[in-house]
Amino acid sequence: MSAPASDAGQRSWTAAVRDHVTGLVPEGQALPDRQPAYVASWIYVFGVATLAALLVVVGSGIVLAMGGAAWWHTSGLGHFVNSVHLWSVELFFAAMVVHLWGKFWMAAWRGNRGLTWVTGVVSFITSIGAAFTGYLVQSNFDSQWISGEAKDGINSIGVGGFFNVLNTGQMLLWHVTLLPIGVGIIAVMHVILVRRHGVVPPLDDEGKEVAR
Amino acid sequence: MGIVFSAGKYVHWGVLSISLTNLLIILGMIVVFGLALVLPFPGAQERHQADEDES
Repeated sequence: MSAPASDAGQRSWTAAVRDHVTGLVPEGQALPDRQPAYVASWIYVFGVATLAALLVVVGSGIVLAMGGAAWWHTSGLGHFVNSVHLWSVELFFAAMVVHLWGKFWMAAWRGNRGLTWVTGVVSFITSIGAAFTGYLVQSNFDSQWISGEAKDGINSIGVGGFFNVLNTGQMLLWHVTLLPIGVGIIAVMHVILVRRHGVVPPLDDEGKEVAR
Repeated sequence: MGIVFSAGKYVHWGVLSISLTNLLIILGMIVVFGLALVLPFPGAQERHQADEDES
């Protein structure tokens, strides 16, 4: 019988993945129950509010997908879920923009947090794409008008050949698969980076930062 | 019962044109942002005190 891989000086890929995942955030920082005193401010609530709204967006979107592309026009329950989906998106963007304003004026990219800021920006841009395709697949006059107006703009930047805003089926698949997966992955990366580097201290308390 | 097709109300200011609904949402977000900066957070005072005692 051969010796275990670890004894032979070789580590399995599962152990390497495990070490990488557990090393993503410092010990005890995955779900911390204590934060620096300066985090006790309403302005820090908006990042969490954005995540909470995103969960409702995804959850209501899954229910809408199960009902089908005409459900929200033909059923009272479908109309209700559609409205939950819309208003959670409104809350998601409102909370995200307030979070963005707060972080911008805090210069939240300080202290090796540049990538945290960039993933936030990328998730914001991806979310705009997700919302845009959502407006295109309402299957009403509104979505017709929006796609008609957007067509020339999309063509002018040279991507109309493979991102055809007049193709409802294509836009629906972008909306329910590609863009939600993109937003989800980037949001997870963003949260991991926040937990990895900690919350940025206020500008006048920069010296109090605990190195991680 | 008739269906009313309305383009909504728009506010015009020079070259800028924005729907009244969007303008009100943006103003609401600015108000919420301002309130988040100035309103005291529950327990904030105790936490500041505890951190100062520890250091």
